[in-house]
Amino acid sequence: MAKKSSTSKKAGANGRRPLKSAPKSAARNGNLSGERRYTIPDYRLESFDCAVRQVASDDGVRYEVTGDLSAPVPPIRESKSLSPRQCLEIYRWMLLNRKMEQALENLYKQGKVVGGVYFGLGQEACSCASAYALCPEDWLAPMIRNQGSLLVRGFSARDVMMQYMAKAGSPTFGKDASSHFGDQQKRNVCAPISTLGDLIPVMAGVALGARLQGRNIAALTYIGDGGQSTGVTYEGLNFAAVQKLGLVLIVENNLWGYSTPSDMQFRVKDLAERAIAYGIPGAIVDGTDACQVYDVVHDACERARRGEGPTLIEAKMMRMKGHAIHDAAEYVPKPLFEYWRKRDPIARLEKFLLERKWLTAKQNEELIAGVDGELEADREFAVNSPMPDPEKTPQNVYCDGCHEIKPKYGVPKAGSGKGSGKPKQGEAAVHLR
Amino acid sequence: MASTSYLEGIRQGIWEEMERDPSVFCLGEDIGIYGGAFKVTDGFIERFGPERVVDTPIAESAIVGAAFGASLTGLRPVAEFQFMDFIGCAFNQITNMLAKAHYRWGAPAPVVIRGPSGGGVHGGPFHSQNPEMYFVHTPGLKVVCPGTAYDAKGLIKSAIRDNNPVIFFEHKFLYRRIKEDLPAEDYTVPIGKARVARQGRDLSIITYAAMLHVALEAAEILAKEGIELEVVDLRTLLPLDREAIATTVRHTNKVIILHEDTRTGGIAGEVAALINEEAFDDLDGPIVRITSRDTPVPFSPPLEDYFLPKVADVIREARRLKSY
Ligand SMILES: Cc1ncc(C[n+]2csc(CCOP(=O)(O)OP(=O)(O)O)c2C)c(N)n1
Ligand SMILES: [Mg+2]
Repeated sequence: MAKKSSTSKKAGANGRRPLKSAPKSAARNGNLSGERRYTIPDYRLESFDCAVRQVASDDGVRYEVTGDLSAPVPPIRESKSLSPRQCLEIYRWMLLNRKMEQALENLYKQGKVVGGVYFGLGQEACSCASAYALCPEDWLAPMIRNQGSLLVRGFSARDVMMQYMAKAGSPTFGKDASSHFGDQQKRNVCAPISTLGDLIPVMAGVALGARLQGRNIAALTYIGDGGQSTGVTYEGLNFAAVQKLGLVLIVENNLWGYSTPSDMQFRVKDLAERAIAYGIPGAIVDGTDACQVYDVVHDACERARRGEGPTLIEAKMMRMKGHAIHDAAEYVPKPLFEYWRKRDPIARLEKFLLERKWLTAKQNEELIAGVDGELEADREFAVNSPMPDPEKTPQNVYCDGCHEIKPKYGVPKAGSGKGSGKPKQGEAAVHLR
Repeated sequence: MASTSYLEGIRQGIWEEMERDPSVFCLGEDIGIYGGAFKVTDGFIERFGPERVVDTPIAESAIVGAAFGASLTGLRPVAEFQFMDFIGCAFNQITNMLAKAHYRWGAPAPVVIRGPSGGGVHGGPFHSQNPEMYFVHTPGLKVVCPGTAYDAKGLIKSAIRDNNPVIFFEHKFLYRRIKEDLPAEDYTVPIGKARVARQGRDLSIITYAAMLHVALEAAEILAKEGIELEVVDLRTLLPLDREAIATTVRHTNKVIILHEDTRTGGIAGEVAALINEEAFDDLDGPIVRITSRDTPVPFSPPLEDYFLPKVADVIREARRLKSY
């Protein structure tokens, strides 16, 4: 009779017994002949090598940043395609973006905003310069921090303010808030929903739809370092890759997803590396450098318009406020704010323009005054416009003919194959009868 | 004992279960150092450590799937959704993986999926929804919607101790608005049992969650004009307490069903069918439904106010039904 094992550890079918402790992971032996190499271009003029971790101490658990935060601020990278006039335009959009959000913050403090306010502080270059790379027939889908993209795409600060104040004249007639609006008819902007990542397959579909109509367009959207963890991100990107659709996805790595640092969100060093796994080009840019953002997005859009498929761009930057106005971001280690404050996208672009003499101090003053004037007029209008009529609540759940549905780019071809013109007849293989 | 809020009741319930049973753990987005978007798990990571308070990537489907996986190893996971509006992201895991596991292959799924739902706070279409009926339609799940601090605490404890997947809808409007004194000792509230929140002889109002308070307020006003409402708080939507529903109808013979969820496909239809089956002969009037409108939850306050059922609606319908 076999002796009973003294422990409860029985051998499994493979003859193995459970280990007492977890096995040490075997070091990869470098099989050089089979090694593969991929490159992800990094356009930054510096690299940011810091990590945020959870540390427990006597006074609780908190986040700590490790790494060198003393590097000098890099210059703006010379754009290979932007003219001085275009640089100035982007600069103005960025100013408008920031000052509009400052106005929103004031409106909030005056109790005029319904709900909270979201900010793109520190990310204006990423929003504005990327949207600036689009042509009118391209598409844009903004996320919550891309209020600047909406301005570039032809909405006004008034629209955004009215959204936050839930006014009857807001782009959603008071039915939704913040950047949650779009324009399917004229501006080619798809409104976001809150659930993160859901725009990615939608924008792949926009590119698919246009291609069916004989047109390759660029379809630009964004996802955060947090939001990219969703499954739908994978589905959308893979779909676009397989179908070679002109999706341009910017991963806005601002180091935080609400209170969660990106080190707790993913394990790759750079999210752009994910492109390798999808089999598509990826690139890294400094999200606080408008010229870099523009150039890379411009190239990705050109690729999309040539029908060569999607591009994944990681823009590195920092969310310079809390998740929304209610959040004081006390969990963020202070040195991180100090590091990124020096890399303010607007101050740096301003300096670049002044140094190059593409902008004089006087012109700058005029430009700022112009932005302020525009915002004041918009604020005035928005504040004084009426709230929605409650009787309208049940309206527009369905389209009962109020919209015409027709191909935007041209009529798809009836058929391009060589079939007989009739559906196939025959016994289908059906296993459920 | 100091008055305890609805949110605090849930906090205490989870905390006490984690103290009592080492197999209970939490997972969700921003639940660690931040303590959750609504601060339900504030201080948990300090007490139970990052092993039992797992801050996850933003991946609802993975959160629910992983919770079920951990439950297969004998644990009792409590998964937080930052907003129940995002539960659609995990719909397949919940309705196909968890709900059917025990029926198909004999694997219990003692998983709690909890988070804030409901409107009245001007959260707009994606931070105000009442998605309970998607799950009420799924055999294998239990669906709980507490309306008081006492029930919230007692029911979260029952949900954690239950061997089945429980979707626990917390109403965010109630989080910090209602308070009551809770017993110091351990108690639970059974899943599947309704409660008579106010006794009355003239007509019954069957409701749950935040609308319980609308019903109670209306009952107070109507009592002054001599109409006595009996208020029944369902507390659990799946399984429904058939007995409690039939009993109140037999007692008052007239019934209003009130809920914040939209009208078509809301629980009122199911309750009405059940009354038809159990107590048809006891009815002295038509079954009345008071619900939200069949639209998404609009953001702007005048629109949302129009959308939601109000005390005035209950009063108007109660008077009409009383004189029927
Ligand atoms: C699917 C889903 N889960 C959770 C949320 C709640 N939520 C909204 S924003 C956010 C953090 C997003 O972080 P990130 O994607 O990095 O964007 P950022 O706010 O940094 O721009 C979370 C968890 C959501 N909107 N959608
Ligand atoms: Mg982020």
